[in-house]
Amino acid sequence: MNAIEVQNLHKSFAEIKAVQGVSFNVSQGEIFSLLGPNGAGKTTTISMLSCLLKPDEGDALVMGHSIRKDPNGVKSVLGVVPQDIALYEDLTARENLTFWGKMYGLRGLPLKKRVNEVLEVIGLSDRANGRVGKFSGGMKRRVNIGVALLHKPKVIYMDEPTVGIDPQSRRNILDNVVELKNQGMTVLYTTHYMEEAQELSDHIAIMDHGEMIACGTHEELVQIVGEVDRITLTISMLTGDTDTGKILMAWRAIDGVREVSTDEGAITLLADDSHRVLPPVFEVASANKVRIIGADIQEPNLESVFLHLTGRALRD
Amino acid sequence: MIRIFDITSKDLLQLLRDRMTFLFLLIMPIAFTFLFGFAGGAFSKGGVDPRLLVGFLDEDNSRFSQSLHDNLAKSEVIRLEEGNTRADLESRVAGEKLAGAIMIPAGYGRAVLNGKPIRLTLIADVSTPAGMSVESEALTAAIRLDSAVRTAVIMEQVAGDKAPFDYTYQKALSAWQDPPVRVTETTSSAIQTQDKSVQALSHTSPGMMLQFAIAGLSTAAQIIVTERKSRSLQRLLTTATARIQILLGHYLAILLLIFCQFLLLITFGQIVLHVNYLQAPEATLLVAFSSALCISALGLLIGMLAKTEEQAVIFSLIPMFVFAGIGGAWVPLEVTGETFQAIGHASPVAWAMDGFKNITLRGLGLRGVLLPTAALVGYAVLVFVLATWRFYTAEEK
Repeated sequence: MNAIEVQNLHKSFAEIKAVQGVSFNVSQGEIFSLLGPNGAGKTTTISMLSCLLKPDEGDALVMGHSIRKDPNGVKSVLGVVPQDIALYEDLTARENLTFWGKMYGLRGLPLKKRVNEVLEVIGLSDRANGRVGKFSGGMKRRVNIGVALLHKPKVIYMDEPTVGIDPQSRRNILDNVVELKNQGMTVLYTTHYMEEAQELSDHIAIMDHGEMIACGTHEELVQIVGEVDRITLTISMLTGDTDTGKILMAWRAIDGVREVSTDEGAITLLADDSHRVLPPVFEVASANKVRIIGADIQEPNLESVFLHLTGRALRD
Repeated sequence: MIRIFDITSKDLLQLLRDRMTFLFLLIMPIAFTFLFGFAGGAFSKGGVDPRLLVGFLDEDNSRFSQSLHDNLAKSEVIRLEEGNTRADLESRVAGEKLAGAIMIPAGYGRAVLNGKPIRLTLIADVSTPAGMSVESEALTAAIRLDSAVRTAVIMEQVAGDKAPFDYTYQKALSAWQDPPVRVTETTSSAIQTQDKSVQALSHTSPGMMLQFAIAGLSTAAQIIVTERKSRSLQRLLTTATARIQILLGHYLAILLLIFCQFLLLITFGQIVLHVNYLQAPEATLLVAFSSALCISALGLLIGMLAKTEEQAVIFSLIPMFVFAGIGGAWVPLEVTGETFQAIGHASPVAWAMDGFKNITLRGLGLRGVLLPTAALVGYAVLVFVLATWRFYTAEEK
């Protein structure tokens, strides 16, 4: 049984189609990322899978429980780490965890013990009696994650858990996510940071404008852009009589360069290995009295996949 | 079910950590009770005798003029003050320092004994209610004295030593204290036994308690607003906690807070201000609880309607002013016109005030608070239904 099976989900708000025909499967024990820019429909998808929103069409199964027919069953196996810090800021970390533990059905000594365990996991045992409102952003995020772990869910949704925090806290969170997988949890992770999706995920689905535009492992997705490096050059002519067409042909002739194109003054080269072709590129430029004043190298990654599929950068 | 109590205890913990809670629910109502009570005449030194002040001059100095004086002194309508001369009494009546003056002329006693007509001198403006009251009291006392003397004279003439004058005269005079036909009051004695100070506080104490219970809803409503804004509500909905449990949990927290506030302020009113809430404790408890039900429902609705913490404050202050103002928390509805009284009873505060004042001012018990209680519970149900509808139909995301 897959941990999550999403079948043709649709959701609209008035005339805005937030999610259009999204389908994917998540195997048990894997980390699955939904990658896309802001407004792509990731949070709406998560909200439907959390039974917060009713889909207009389609259904999904979470550990075999339908989000339409058995929302309580879904909630019993689910932990959710929302994008916002969904905590009570005038309560302490311990009080927050205790309250949420009760909401998840834990009581008495097992609850107390579990709260202590979670405080240990998130590294806040020494700040347990501090008010959450006085915590740093990173600490709040850790408590936010801790709440979702209290009842040892089989599936956990994490909606952009690293937004707006410092690099060290971000690192801690990413390490925690990997640890969750090691403990057998299935993680559905949404982010607009390509590097997070690349680092963490067994499978990645790319979303844009409510649609899923690609889905697969990192290697499978990168294949979409053909595993070529993209080199973007900014040049200036040293003399007025330099033949631009000639230099473009010269670059095209370099071994390893697959394609050369120009766009609004920038020259783009697609190459098998940018490190190997760059020296001859500079030599050709120098021989033709062209100065390269800028060179941007983009190795095949999800950013380039997104760019290739949508014509836009993942982060505007 | 237990989740409801979990949410309630969480809310109460948050509320008790907010200093504004204590400010609105305890300190402000006590302070304003004193302020408005002072304005209403409470805490006046020595109390005020409400009887009409009437001058008195006895130029006869007989036993009968003394009897007349003693009878007038027992009046519940006038209070005698000795005068020196006629001119002095006339000037004081003219200067409105006295409601009137009674002068007993020389020879009054002999004339009464002999059955000869004689007039008392009354200095008063008998076209005014005060003047008429003084005249009425003076005439009543004079007639009673005259009839007692006549009765004693006749009895002595008829029975001789068996009915001596003095014995019969005293008996006839004292018989007027318990006449065979009398008019008795059917209203309670609560007002009669209270001085004006306590009467003023019997109005302002419940008035300020109710007013600031509504104002204090802002802190409770803010908790609900913050929960929604921080997405904690959405997180709650991803657990097995049902919407109705969330709603009831919040409601119960507000209800407990308001009811405890009422109990504290009622205790304060009873012990410190001598407002007689506990002359019918079960009735007081019923009015307090039904008021708390109603005000708590309002707090829940405010929490559901407000989108920001600032709106929660405004949405609490507006009903505080409107309901308290038209409901008679500031100015008793009894002194307003019929139309305003009818309008005022659109406010639940008016019903709560009726309930409390039926107990503290009118001395009524459980039966006297049943109608106000029913009205308050009706309001509570209506507002709770509105809050529930809003909660269920609000945007999910």
